[in-house]
Amino acid sequence: MTELKTVGKSIERVDIKAKVLGTAVYAADIKLPGMLHGKIVRCFEHAHAKVVHLDLSAAAAVPGVVKVLGPKDVTSKTYNQSVIDLMASKTEGAMLGDIEEQHIFTEHVKFWGDGIAGIIAVSEEVAERAAKLVRVEYEPLPVYITPEESGHPEAVQFTPHKPGNRAFQLPEEMFPGNALGWGDVDKAFEEADLVIEDTFYTPKQKQCQMEPNSYVALYDDSNRLNCWTSGQMPKLVHEKIARLFDLPMSRVTIHQTVVGGGFGARLGMVLEPEICAMALAVPGRPVKIQQPREEDWLTSPSRHPARYWMKIGFRKDGTPLAVDAKSVNFKGGYYLDGSALASTTGFWLQGMYKFENLRYKGESYFTNQPVCGAFRGYGNPQTNFVLEQMIERACVQLDLDPLEWRRKWHKETGDMSWLNATPYTSCALNDCLDRGAEVIGWAQKRKKYANQTGPKRRGIGVAVGNHTSGAFPMILEHTTCTVRLNEDASATVLVACSDMGQGAHTSLTQIAAETLGWPIEDVRLETGDSDANGFDIGAHASRTLYVGGAAIMKACQDARGQLLDRAARILKVNRDELDIDNKTIFVEGEPERSVSAVDICRTGIYNFIDHATGLPEGELGQIQAYVSYKPDQNSPPFFATFVELEVDTETGEVELLELVSSHDIGKAIHPAICEGQMEGGAQQGLGMVLTEEMYFDERGFAINNSFTDYKMLGASDMPKMTSILVENGDPYGPFGAKSVGEAGVVTPVGATANAIYQATGIQFTQGPITPEKILHEIRKRGLTYD
Amino acid sequence: MSEFVEAVDIEVTVNGKTYQRSVEPRLLLVEFLREELGLTGTHIGCDTSYCGACTIHMNGAPVKSCTLFAVQADGQTLTTVEGLATDAGLHPLQKAFSEHHGLQCGYCTPGMLMSAKALLERNPNPSDKEIKKQIAGNVCRCTGYQNIIKSVHAAAAEMRES
Repeated sequence: MTELKTVGKSIERVDIKAKVLGTAVYAADIKLPGMLHGKIVRCFEHAHAKVVHLDLSAAAAVPGVVKVLGPKDVTSKTYNQSVIDLMASKTEGAMLGDIEEQHIFTEHVKFWGDGIAGIIAVSEEVAERAAKLVRVEYEPLPVYITPEESGHPEAVQFTPHKPGNRAFQLPEEMFPGNALGWGDVDKAFEEADLVIEDTFYTPKQKQCQMEPNSYVALYDDSNRLNCWTSGQMPKLVHEKIARLFDLPMSRVTIHQTVVGGGFGARLGMVLEPEICAMALAVPGRPVKIQQPREEDWLTSPSRHPARYWMKIGFRKDGTPLAVDAKSVNFKGGYYLDGSALASTTGFWLQGMYKFENLRYKGESYFTNQPVCGAFRGYGNPQTNFVLEQMIERACVQLDLDPLEWRRKWHKETGDMSWLNATPYTSCALNDCLDRGAEVIGWAQKRKKYANQTGPKRRGIGVAVGNHTSGAFPMILEHTTCTVRLNEDASATVLVACSDMGQGAHTSLTQIAAETLGWPIEDVRLETGDSDANGFDIGAHASRTLYVGGAAIMKACQDARGQLLDRAARILKVNRDELDIDNKTIFVEGEPERSVSAVDICRTGIYNFIDHATGLPEGELGQIQAYVSYKPDQNSPPFFATFVELEVDTETGEVELLELVSSHDIGKAIHPAICEGQMEGGAQQGLGMVLTEEMYFDERGFAINNSFTDYKMLGASDMPKMTSILVENGDPYGPFGAKSVGEAGVVTPVGATANAIYQATGIQFTQGPITPEKILHEIRKRGLTYD
Repeated sequence: MSEFVEAVDIEVTVNGKTYQRSVEPRLLLVEFLREELGLTGTHIGCDTSYCGACTIHMNGAPVKSCTLFAVQADGQTLTTVEGLATDAGLHPLQKAFSEHHGLQCGYCTPGMLMSAKALLERNPNPSDKEIKKQIAGNVCRCTGYQNIIKSVHAAAAEMRES
């Protein structure tokens, strides 16, 4: 490979100008002529109830109301708002027990804020006023907050498909004993010198993407259903919507707008079914739903809260003999990706350390809370909170250095990765640990903070993790890409990959430009509308750069090859004797024997007859390359985070002093974007471990469904941060790259918990570790200050 | 219905241009800018004046336009993100946010730029702490704030030089 010209450089982002000018068009900015406004009537009287009687007549009579919709006025078909079920084969989906049990408007309210009807009106105000006139009679049902409550034999059933309200457990057919893992855990514990166990709780955390969900939909005059949305996965949503409304896919278009953050909240559908049902009810007229934050917070899926039990056994020398674990997720009102999350939580566990024996059980139970689904990390931060604290406790009890223990016992290249199906393709975790430890001054600080007195105590903690690049081989992976060379040889890359704001379109453009050998200005990604391009899964599983990038690279290699083939015929040499520079194709070592790429591309399109010879002036055909790409690896990135903090033992407050993260990402296509992912991920991981939790009262009503009451870390709360990119190159990733999207959120969780442990001598099992919990434990245990 | 209140005439100067409009007293300033004037660069993030995506300047001072009624802007001079760039090009803050990757999804960016502008107008050489304090009312969920702070420093340096 010659020297890289674009890849590896922090070039200006392709979307930057519109974003700093304020001209980027998000879904809420879309305004169409004659646009109507939709409002979903939600149940705020109960978190669990049956709708006995619904009277929409008073609402319908309000001047300016165009249509009112109850459950019987829309399709009776049910759906699953997540798209994970589409990515499993029919057989696998049946084994996993995936279901479609959601209704557009429900008659069985399963969480506070569940949608029961829709109003379409000439303005938002009129729709809101009409919504207040909807008369509903409810039959209140018992509210179930915990799996014990909903799993009780006499509990009201959420769906006939899931007896006992158990939404999921690892299926016997795929996982004998309903458990994944290997070896004989019980026997191993008998041989262990140290066995510890504990039960943890990881909170229901909200993505809080800055842009609340907005939608516009229009069933247009050519009988086509259009939906403008900022979803992460337009292609899969396209199919879901077509199926739900019995439309051919050719009559549906999902127009992807600029996405104001996703982090999993937009994996699949949120209100696409509702807005499309409304548009179909008023053909020819666009309808808009602009959700207020309070409702967005309730209706887009959150992180799964989980009770997570773990038992681990070691030999005296630190050999990890066995781990036994069980996580029970609080699923919320509907199934969504019920099978996947409870599984991946265990996958991250089996992928991390060289335990000789491992057993993991994962279950989910319905609860009367807003739905849970994807959130950056997808079970990984939960496992990090639990596993990394357990390892820390074991190291303290065995008097082992926690950093050295991790260096020695983490899985590495060639070991079986998270799914226990494919081996790790590359691992530079020890480099990550070494470089991070040096930057933060681990050895000195760890020693210094070992024995402290006084009310303010400092601690330093470390945690490690790994993730994945794409969902292979767990579920479907597939990206198609078409590269077209234009008349002037500039390239249009047609690919449906989403940019949720993370910068994917910039990095993907870099990959295309580098592969073609063109300057970045001559390459444009055509993304957006779901039917403009071929298939792509969408943004999830940290796949976009790894899978989408590889697809683009292959298509660009093909286009470049076609160009070289034509040049070779003109120059009468073999293709491998040719090189390209500045759009000139020349024979290596003989730069005077050359042909212009522009001429070849133009002649392929403007293909005239040479009057002298009577033959075409050159080869006919616009150069176009197409690939349908499925990866056969998932090149997991490894990473380590160090956190230094200070606990005020009199107030329970935690001040974050410094965070150093180092990621083995293979190759940074765009270093600043990679660092941005790590730093933004850290803000969310630190929030999960310290402050963020969605609270509900005993009735199941939300307590903090606003940014005012839900505590995210602000600029002043953030520590000094250093991001280290470890680039050893992965043999499979495009230009050696592995993923970085989700990874950043994971290890700040464990590292912070471990730093608090060093500072206070206390391990907190119930996240988030708020000042109240810290004070409570300190008082209970009676910390001494001398 | 008593809920319908008569419209009120207002005159507002936005980004140097004066607009006369008749608005309902309940209309929020942010809605007025977005829906009436089509200035959709000012975003709505939280509806509770917490996140700062709707930050604009009123008579040179940063305000959250989701907390004000349009009628409160009567006779006032407003600047929104659309008023930052001039014929000469991007504002130094816009340039710095571009060069130093001070954004990802971009939804908080207009508000962030307006808050930072207010700071740099009164303090041409702010410390990290002063920048953090200034953007305490501006939430970003993508960047971890690191590159935003870097961008504000870079813009400050350029503005000091010019």
